[in-house]
Amino acid sequence: MKHSMKWGAGLVAVASLALAGCASNGDSTTATESTGTSSQDPVTLSMAGWSLDSTPEFQTLADAFHAANPDITIEVNEYKSGDDYDTQMIADLAAGSAPDLYVLKTLKNFFTYQDGGQLLDVSDVAANYDSSTNGLSTYAVDGKTFAVPYRQDSWYLYYDKDLFDQAGVGYPDGTWTWDDYAAAAGELKVGLDGDDVFGTYQHGWQSTVQGLANAQSPGADILSGDFGYMKPFYDRAVALQDNGAQVDFNTLSTNQLSYQSQFGTQKTAMLIMGSWYVGAYLTQVGTGDALEFNWGIAPAPQLDASTTSNPVTFADPTAIGINPAIDDSKVDAAKKFLAFIGGEEAGVALANIGITSAYASETVTAAYFALDGVPNDDLSKFTFSTHETVPENPVSADTAAVQSILGDMHSAIMSEGTSVDDAIAEAEARVKNEVLNQ
Amino acid sequence: MSVGEAPVKIRRSGKARNKAVGWMFILPNFVGFAILTLVPILVLFYMAFTEWNIFGGSEWVGLENFRRLFGDASFYKALTNTLYYTGLHVPLTLAVSLGLAILLNSKLRGLAFFRTAAFFPYITSIVAVALVWNMLFSPDSGAINQGLSALGIDNPPGWTTSTTWAMPAVIIVGTWREAGYYMLLFLAGLQTVPRELYEAAFSDGANAWQRFIHVTLPCLRPTTYFVTILLTIQSLKVFDLVLVMTNGGPGQATLVLAQFTYQKGFIENQFGYGSSAAVVLFLISLAVTIFQFLYNKRRDA
Repeated sequence: MKHSMKWGAGLVAVASLALAGCASNGDSTTATESTGTSSQDPVTLSMAGWSLDSTPEFQTLADAFHAANPDITIEVNEYKSGDDYDTQMIADLAAGSAPDLYVLKTLKNFFTYQDGGQLLDVSDVAANYDSSTNGLSTYAVDGKTFAVPYRQDSWYLYYDKDLFDQAGVGYPDGTWTWDDYAAAAGELKVGLDGDDVFGTYQHGWQSTVQGLANAQSPGADILSGDFGYMKPFYDRAVALQDNGAQVDFNTLSTNQLSYQSQFGTQKTAMLIMGSWYVGAYLTQVGTGDALEFNWGIAPAPQLDASTTSNPVTFADPTAIGINPAIDDSKVDAAKKFLAFIGGEEAGVALANIGITSAYASETVTAAYFALDGVPNDDLSKFTFSTHETVPENPVSADTAAVQSILGDMHSAIMSEGTSVDDAIAEAEARVKNEVLNQ
Repeated sequence: MSVGEAPVKIRRSGKARNKAVGWMFILPNFVGFAILTLVPILVLFYMAFTEWNIFGGSEWVGLENFRRLFGDASFYKALTNTLYYTGLHVPLTLAVSLGLAILLNSKLRGLAFFRTAAFFPYITSIVAVALVWNMLFSPDSGAINQGLSALGIDNPPGWTTSTTWAMPAVIIVGTWREAGYYMLLFLAGLQTVPRELYEAAFSDGANAWQRFIHVTLPCLRPTTYFVTILLTIQSLKVFDLVLVMTNGGPGQATLVLAQFTYQKGFIENQFGYGSSAAVVLFLISLAVTIFQFLYNKRRDA
């Protein structure tokens, strides 16, 4: 009797030790207060944003809306940036401490929020918008719209005119295919002949290769589990880093290089990046973090000449949605805000800080190019206003899992730890095994 | 029962009071443990049999998660990586911390400084550690590879950028980080070794190595057992170091079970599935610990 009790106590002790070993650290989430008053004016709504110091768009929208509606104030709360934003947002929503409005940072997670019932149905707001507002349909599920986009990015080719002149290479002319791009990168590397300056820079994200591959390859669909169409894109990327025309993936990830500093301090002559970089670059010139030089934007390289008149590129829209836990009295005010952010006034306000708004019109384009420092040449204007922008990912329950697998494939290929063919085959097998057969 | 009634009563109430006092001592810690750790872990066991996307209710799916887990190639990769990490990390850290403890058990000048310095890595922020070591491990410009090239090694390993060397790199940093902590435990254990045993061995003609094997190690067995259990459990559940150093490594080279759970839960929003992986990790830790417990018990007897 006593012996087995000791045994039992011992087992419990062991179990407790093991259990204590399994304890995990919790991250503290910011508690946001929605200081809402009753249905009468004034109403204060809380909104989630990130990196408020370097991302002025949230406050800009809040201020522009407040100017038009003085009895509604939007308070922007800062959340973590990068991938952590969604983790924190999901945790706050589940805990019931999320703000009234929140930004849908990545389209990949839109499905999570919508499927989890964390977005209010705003179809009535969406119905009042017309086709000038891009990206609305991306947020529609089963005939209902759950968020309103305020920003629609596109990926362009940024190029440093001064470095091109120095190397004696001709500027992009809007007709470049991928072969032209790779050839120019090689010529730039030779012409620039400095250890630290590269022909082009490809950031570490999987989207730098996969986004354009998905958008431009005919019939490409990541949910099908066939990724053979990515092979030429990866072959080219690996060749560029092997030739020294671009910084290799291993160096940029261990040294944590940032694309802003690479292009902004003229360490690379070309950069394929999203349109949001224009605003960020101009801000950095202002603070002295980036150099001032002649630069321009050109359409991203295309597969062939057939899409030159309407270049195909990719990027997700960014939207704002309403937290269903919002006070009933504040729903109207929140919907008013959503009715504002996709319209022309918001578009002009965003253009004034260098953000590409979801609302597209001549007025917005004019406002954007009136900004100090934005390149004014015809090609840049063409790039800004003419493009077919495809969302980076389809909205689906399987997208997050497939993206994870593709992210592993990307790092395996770019670190040159696995050959392109092997990595693609492995990714296809994994998708079949882990996602499609569930 | 009738003859020694009075003494039995006193003995019983004395025992009861001892028990009560005992419980009072552990109650504060136990209550905190119960609420913040035990209850969530019990919920975890429940969660492993459900499908939950963190919002709203969870759907009971029975053993479906486990069935899926055992057919999941990524899970096996994570399991292999975790066992690989543990298999190398535990002996290496044991050896390094024991060595450090023995070195720092003698009367050196500045002993307090050295002991503190050995402990520094353990209290440094893991993000800072990972950032700096990543730069040290940088294949072209890092100090380690430059040192190796200077020594004449032509093709220094790619460390965190290579699928074969990423895990050894993480193990090295893990050992560097934790050796100080276990060194402290060994130091405490070393104080319990009676000096007379050393003197007796010395007078019997034993050299330093023989003294180590035949006096120090046996006397240290309880400490070693304790350190090994702690070390094994910590190694099996390694997460933060891998996450900030390599985030699963090039491809899946350093994906570990805890990270697999995190990915399934927080990135792919499948909390039930992630929980089932966590349960498997718990069972493995439990099995290993029980095995070590029984092994030590048998050696004791």
